[in-house]
Order: sequence, then C-alpha cells, then structure tokens
Amino acid sequence: MITLTINGTPVEVPEGATVLRAAEKAGIHVPTLCDHEHLSPFGGCRLCIVEVEGFRLPVASCTLPASEGMVVTTESDNLKNSRQTILSLLFSERNHFCPFCQLSGGDCELQNAAYEQEMNHWPIQPTWNTYSTDTSHPYFVLDNNRCILCRRCVRACAEMSGNHTLNIAERGSDCMVVADSNVPLGESTCVSCGSCVQVCPTGALINRQSAYKGHQKNLSTTKTICTGCSLGCGLVVYHRDNQIMRIEGDWDAPINAGTLCKLGRFIPMTDERERITAPMVRKNGKLEATTWDEAFTAVMEQCKKGEVAAIASTRLSVESLSYFKDIFANTLASNMVTSTEEGLSTANGVALAAELGENFEGTLADMTADYFVVSGVDLINDHEVAGFFIKRVLPAGIPLVVIDGNGNKMKEIANFNFEKTSALGKLEAALSSGKDQDAALAEAAKMLSIAKKPVFVYGAKIDVDGLKALVSLAKAAKGKVVGIKGGANSLAAAQLGLDSTFALNEHKVVYAALGDEAPGKELVKKLENAPFLVIQASYSSALTEKADVVLPVAIWSEQDGHYLNLDGRLQDTHKIVDAPDGVLSNQAVLEALGEKAGAALNGSWKKALTVKLAPVAIQA
Amino acid sequence: MSKPKIASDWLTGCAGCHMSLLDIDERIIKIAELVDIRATPITDFKEPDEDGVTVGILEGAVSNSYNEEVAKKMRARSKILVALGDCAVFGGVPAMRNFCGAREALQRAYVDAESNDEEAVVPDDPELATMTEVRALSEVVKVDVHIPGCPPPADAIFYALVELANGRIPELKDENLRWD
Repeated sequence: MITLTINGTPVEVPEGATVLRAAEKAGIHVPTLCDHEHLSPFGGCRLCIVEVEGFRLPVASCTLPASEGMVVTTESDNLKNSRQTILSLLFSERNHFCPFCQLSGGDCELQNAAYEQEMNHWPIQPTWNTYSTDTSHPYFVLDNNRCILCRRCVRACAEMSGNHTLNIAERGSDCMVVADSNVPLGESTCVSCGSCVQVCPTGALINRQSAYKGHQKNLSTTKTICTGCSLGCGLVVYHRDNQIMRIEGDWDAPINAGTLCKLGRFIPMTDERERITAPMVRKNGKLEATTWDEAFTAVMEQCKKGEVAAIASTRLSVESLSYFKDIFANTLASNMVTSTEEGLSTANGVALAAELGENFEGTLADMTADYFVVSGVDLINDHEVAGFFIKRVLPAGIPLVVIDGNGNKMKEIANFNFEKTSALGKLEAALSSGKDQDAALAEAAKMLSIAKKPVFVYGAKIDVDGLKALVSLAKAAKGKVVGIKGGANSLAAAQLGLDSTFALNEHKVVYAALGDEAPGKELVKKLENAPFLVIQASYSSALTEKADVVLPVAIWSEQDGHYLNLDGRLQDTHKIVDAPDGVLSNQAVLEALGEKAGAALNGSWKKALTVKLAPVAIQA
Repeated sequence: MSKPKIASDWLTGCAGCHMSLLDIDERIIKIAELVDIRATPITDFKEPDEDGVTVGILEGAVSNSYNEEVAKKMRARSKILVALGDCAVFGGVPAMRNFCGAREALQRAYVDAESNDEEAVVPDDPELATMTEVRALSEVVKVDVHIPGCPPPADAIFYALVELANGRIPELKDENLRWD
C-alpha cells in the first residue's frame, strides 16, 4: 500500500493506483472527461490536472501513478484557470452549441464540466468547420460534430467487446472517430454491442431508441437480468410512463460489469411481434376471446381426458418452471415433460457430473485466462458477451484454440483450428510428451504447457466423448472448464429434469408454455399436429394460430422471477412495466392452472435446483 | 445619488431574452425602484443616452454591419456592457449559419424553402446591412458580464440586475448558470 496526501487528507491506495483513483477513494471529486472507471486510463482531455508538490507544472491525475509521500492539490485558482482554458479549446474545435443538443440540461458531461468550472462564455470562438454525421447504423448515430475525441468509445470497443471497430483516423486537429478503415458504421465490423454509446460523454454517439425522449433525471431506473441467454448479464433499464426508453449494461453486475451484446441492449426494444391480450378458445374452428376462467376450464377438461405432453421455454423463471413440473409431471403424471431446449446444451454436462460424482465446471470469472480452448460453441454468434471476454484479451498475445466443424466464426480469430474433438486427446498426449506429428498441434500444446490459467469452454455441439476429452485435458493442464449452456434458465431446466427429447406418441393434449420465446421451425413442426394444443405465450406465432387454447402472458420486462445462469448463480429479474390489461404473468397462469389441477405447487423451488448434482456448483 | 441608468438593445436574436427579462414579473417594479430604465427595444426610447448609461445590455449575436454599429454605440455609451443570452455570449442559433455560410442560408430561406413561391428571390436592396460571419458580442466589443442561456432564466436576469444596480459584478453559478 501507498500513502499520499490529497488536499491535506492522507489516502491509502494499492501500488499502481492512479492519483485520480486515489482522490475518488478519498471522496474528492476531480473533473474529467476522457477517464472512465471501467476503461484503461488515457490522459487525453487533461481536465483532471492536479498540482503535485515538487512538480513544475500541473499533471493529469488519471495517468499519474500514486507514489509514497506524494502531496497533491486538486483545487486552486491556477487549476481552475487552466481547466477553463482546456474546456475553451474543446468547445472551439467543433459544434458544441448546447441549445440544439438533446443531452443539454444535465446529461452532457462536457456541459456539466463547464458549469462546474463556472464558465459563462467561450474565450475562443469555434472554428465553424463541419464534420460528418454517420446515420448508417440501425441502433445509433455518430455525430462527429459533437465529438471531443476523448476516445472512450474507441477504448470501449476494444476493451469491453474486443471488437476494435472504432478507432481514430488522422492526427492532431484532423483526428476523427471512424469505423474500421473509415467505412459507414452500418457497413462496418460493428457487432452492435452499444458499449460506445453507453460511455460517450457528449452527444456524439446517440442511441436512436432513446434520443430526444427526455433527460436521465426524468427517467426511472430498474436493475434486472437479461433473459437472452444463459450468461445472465445485468441490465439497467431506463423507463418512464410504463414505457422502456433505453437499456444499458449494469456496471455493478458481477457477470458483465457493464458490457452487453445487441441481444441485451437493442433487440428487446425492437420486438415487432403482435401481442396477445386476451385468453382465447377455439370454437367452431375459430379462436375466440374468452375469460380466463373459461380458458383454464377448457385446458383442464382436456388434460383430465387423456395423456398430456408438456414443454416449457427456458426463458421462463425458475418458479414458473418448477410449477410447470409440479402440474404436469407430478400431478397429471405426464410421461413427457420437458423444455424447448430438450437438454441439448446440458445433458452431456449433467451426465458427466453424475459419472465423475462432482462438479467439474468453473465459472465465467475464470474467463480472465491466458489460454483458451473453445469447442462446440460459436461465441461470435451466440452468447456474445462470453465471446467478448475472449476477444478482449486476445491482443495481449493470448492463444485461442478452436475445435469445431466449419461454420464456427471463432475460427477466423483463432490461433489454432482443429476440426475434430480427437484433437483434445492429442493435445493432452502432446502436453506430456512435448511432441506431435502435426506441427500446429505440437505448437498449441507447447503454448498450453506454459499457460498458467488456461480455460476450456464447451457448448451444446460437443459430444459426450469430446466433453470427456476436454475435461481430461483441462485436468492435465490444471485449467478450468466453462460450460456455456443455452437459454436463460437452461441449467435450471436441466436441474428440474426438464431436459428430455420431446416426442409425441399417444398424447392427446400438448401444453406449450412459451412465454416470450419465439418458437423455432422445428418446434412448430413438432407441435402443430397435436390433437389438442394449448399455447401459453406473449406473442402471436405459427403455434398460436394452430392452438385450441391460447393463454396470453407477460414478457421479460413485465414480471419478476429467478434465473440460474451458466455459473450456477441464482439471480432475480424485476418487473419494470405493467403488462397490457388482460395479460397475466407466466407464474400466475401456472398457479391458477395448478389450483384447477389440484396440484401441490412446490414453494421450495430453490431446493429443487440442488436435488441432483450439477456440472457447476449451484449457489442457490 | 442618482440611480444607475440601464439601457438595452437587441441584435440578431429572437427577443426571447427580453421576454425572459419580462418573466421576472412583478419584480420589475423593484428593478424600476433600483435603476433608471432608459432606452430599450420594448419602451419608447430606442437609443441609449448620448451622455452614457451605467449598464448597457445587448441580446443577440453580431451578424451584419448594422449589428456592429449598434454594438459599438452601446459599448461606447456604457460603463458596463452585458451580453445577454446564448446568441450574444456564444453566437447561438444564428451562428448555425456559419457552418454553411450566409449565401447558402439566404438561398435556403428565401428561395429553396418549400413554402416559397416561384418568384422568390434573395432581397438585395442596397439599403440592407451587409451580412458578416455571425460572431459572439465579445468578438466585436469588450464585454464585461456574460449571462448565457437560451434564454437565460428570469431568476438569473433578476439576480444580475440587482447586483449591477448595487454596483457589483454578478457571478453566475448553479441554477443561474445554464447554456440552454
């Protein structure tokens, strides 16, 4: 630890901490524009200058490492003068006229900084140059006229998503934020994670979904969890008048620390599927709106007549999945109760855990590795944030080995590519022998032998033997295994035993609790010819058209519930807006149905998650 | 001692800052008690006293030769010159024209705009003032007090006037300091 003095107050910080972080720790505010707690220090804007005893001139505190006995002053007339000059220079470079900017009035860090320095005019007039505005991207706009070249976006693109789309062209006053080698954003390598928009301090990067919809201070915020996949990233949802304005990554979330992918940030705002707002029962071949009571009665009458097959989305909460199981497996004694994932992404892991008699997986925290092996999952297209964890560290020279068939986009960024999982066994052999006929394999093994914390990531497409070989290799290399799994509650579904293959035999009734999941073509094919089809869903789909009873339910933002992510971490989602009139939550529908069925609903669903050994330690 | 004299005028702006001045409502009576309100665009006198005023207030940016003349006259006749509002302080909305140039702005406004008829032309009467680049007031004359805002809040204007009436230079901060 190092002790320094800031404004007369002694502060203790770990070695390597910057003076700016030390000041923050002491509760002393130092103005800054380019610095961001979650990005590497840059030292571009110079607004955070401080005076240090023994230094001839003020220095930028964001890039100045604290040292023992340092005496720092953060406020003085001299510093205020300098900060005003720095801001004057920034204001003079581009179009920073506040009256025609949507951030003006509290949301612009540049304006706030000027107010803080009590600037009442610009000593230097603007240059009146105009710069390009890039409106080619579907989710955000880049207006270079509002840019102060702080490079937060460039750093976020590299350090959060590892994508390196944004960078700076030219030098000096010609500097410009550009995508790739200066192509329109909409045609660039951008993956629409939106981190750049979240960190922009001015109106240069504008979220199309929330632009001109009001200041932050007029919006409410609710923290919740993304139900897009098994990662369980933390979201901060900004809303007003029962409407969601914008979604951002939660900086405090343990999984993603602010980072999101388009599935978490933008896609939920663009759902154009038609909502169902009344229960419906098919009468004389036509679906007609009815009461909840009549709809439940119609369902139960059929369920009691004959064999039922039931299938639930892994986007449903643990509570809902548990009640679903209580009703269909325990009370109605159905022999076909499963999830829409049918255990595809979890069965191998569960089977191996049973065979080994222990949890064999680590967690996402282990993804800060120095060697990656990825097999059976394409983290460029699925579970993108997990892909970002890998992509962001690759420039440090960290090797990536991808073992998968063609079509896995990760192959394009990998150092080593192997087609078949037999490469895993060969790697293990080469790890001990130090050689292999295949030069690439020998090199990969050599690099693995010097790795201190390798991680072995597997997904749904790996087969049982492949997984065994991967876990064995991980053990030999003293590394960790991370199982990516599938949907938001794919692990919970597996733990509840909702992981068998769905097949219709003599079943008379099919009950599909889809929630807000869009049914895939295969599922539609499997269900559409059911003798009697009940669909519990938020949106119209090919299945609701075929259904005999439709039960309309809330979407992700309209209900509370728990989710067990791929780490075995139990997290809760929160209701943000009210569901449309006439719509119930998934849990409420299942509770009502359970009552009709005379089911004893399991209040201790948490316990049900740990009855069987999971691939990963469950913290519930 | 006689009361300090105050005069005001507007340049290229929208009169909104003077409207915000009127937004101080009944407090204007207090101002009238403290100062001698002389020429303003919203009273009968239009020219500041030849023998000078204590405080001259200008709204609007300097966008042509006539604005320049008014600004210089007010400067010459005021002990303290106040730039009132974003246009006077920064150039404001009129300064948007600098990004494309006066010629293109005129063409758009007088000829190309959808609401114009086919005979529309850019006015070219020789009596008209010559357009210049739009400038903040401080680019043309020395300014002693800046009150930004579009418009400045009525409270900020009232505060500034009371300070000036009492012989002090106002220091705008917190709620009184805004750029929009």
